[in-house]
Amino acid sequence: MSSSSYSNYTNSPCAACKFLRRKCSSDCVFAPYFPPEEPLKFANVHRIFGASNVSKILHEVAPHQREDAVNSLAYEAEARLKDPVYGCVGAISVLQREVLRLQRELEETNNDLMRYASCLGGETSAYGGRRG
Amino acid sequence: MSQIKTIHNPIGSLERFLDLLLISLIVYMTLKGGTSGACAACKYQRRRCAADCPLAPYFPAEQPKLFQNVHRLFGVRSIVKILENLDEVQRPEAMKSIIFQSYVRDRNPVHGCLGITQQLQYMIWVAEEELKAVNLQLQLYRNGQNHANSHNMMIHEIGEKQEDLTSQLDLGMGLPVNANQGNNTIPFFSPVSETQPQQQPQMSYCNDVNNNDYNPTPDSCKEILNNHNASSAWGQNQFPFNHHNYGFINQNEHCSETKNNNSVMAIQSQLVNLQMASNKQEEEVDAQNYDEIHQFLEIIDDSQSFTETKEVYASSSGESLKEPIDEIGEKELRRAATCFSLTSVN
Repeated sequence: MSSSSYSNYTNSPCAACKFLRRKCSSDCVFAPYFPPEEPLKFANVHRIFGASNVSKILHEVAPHQREDAVNSLAYEAEARLKDPVYGCVGAISVLQREVLRLQRELEETNNDLMRYASCLGGETSAYGGRRG
Repeated sequence: MSQIKTIHNPIGSLERFLDLLLISLIVYMTLKGGTSGACAACKYQRRRCAADCPLAPYFPAEQPKLFQNVHRLFGVRSIVKILENLDEVQRPEAMKSIIFQSYVRDRNPVHGCLGITQQLQYMIWVAEEELKAVNLQLQLYRNGQNHANSHNMMIHEIGEKQEDLTSQLDLGMGLPVNANQGNNTIPFFSPVSETQPQQQPQMSYCNDVNNNDYNPTPDSCKEILNNHNASSAWGQNQFPFNHHNYGFINQNEHCSETKNNNSVMAIQSQLVNLQMASNKQEEEVDAQNYDEIHQFLEIIDDSQSFTETKEVYASSSGESLKEPIDEIGEKELRRAATCFSLTSVN
């Protein structure tokens, strides 16, 4: 499987080179991250960001971070295709609202807990006083 | 006068024409938003900015960085294509999201918006776990109060009959914590908890969170999402996940002080009072923790905020509290049982 990820003259080209219809060299920057089994991944990324931009981004990040960078680009590209207006920012907005909702609920529950605890403390202290 | 006017008319008209031309040029430049007249997009591309330039409304000339980020990630052709496929009403919103996405990518070239998404998902998980713990504790108190009420009634009815009372206490009816100690402890949130492995697939893009080179993307969320009608109340966020942790740690010590106390209710009240006191003491610590959580959403170039946050979570709730919390229920039970088996209830 690793050999298919690192395309050379004898193996099949990577998804990027297949899409771009060019020869996949041994030092192809896309090859490790766009296997030929996932053609849609590169197609989406190319459609939104363009191959040259992706190549520049990959060259700017460290080699051990390139896989993460490609995966995040693929995620953003897919999100933008699904939602051309908001893209992945829509998901961020939804998550942010969810966090705020949970925060409010947590605050209310904590207030209830404090009220409950204070009432319980008041009752038991009164009981303790009566007991001597 | 009229002769002078007649002589100078050609020159005057030329001057007037030039004046008018200059005025119109100034007006044109003003309308275009700058002395050069071109939007940031056309400036960057070094081309004439047409009157119907589609990018001009979104990229003012005085903010070149915005367009640079967008150009770097999307490219002009892609943006124009996206805009062409949208309605007029949708275009401003789309451009806002594109600008935001590009800004985030500029701040964090590796993870981009996915990093923010993962961070928010983590925060949701934290809040949900905290909510579960608080709800469980609330239920515990409710059960305890019900038991206490029924216990009080029994004591009044039975009176000074020690044998009956101790027998019922031995059954654990007066010790509300018994009912819910089947799992030994109240499940407190810990970032190193058992549930975390389930979250790992979602956190796969943040595997390097614990690495020093992780660079979270804080700032843009608060500023830009505000324009998306998202709430800007991040400064008010408080996840009091530490309240009950510290409270239950001190319960262990406090139980020893109540050894000579013959009343189950006294133990309960002291536990509650202690927790309330410790909650107040921990507010400052919590505020500091939550400030660290929110730092990655502030417009501050802080590359370690998220790692510090994770460290705070791990150190404050996971590492230092795990063992004491596990032992509290068992020790508490033992001490309470000791109280009632060896001493009489007055």
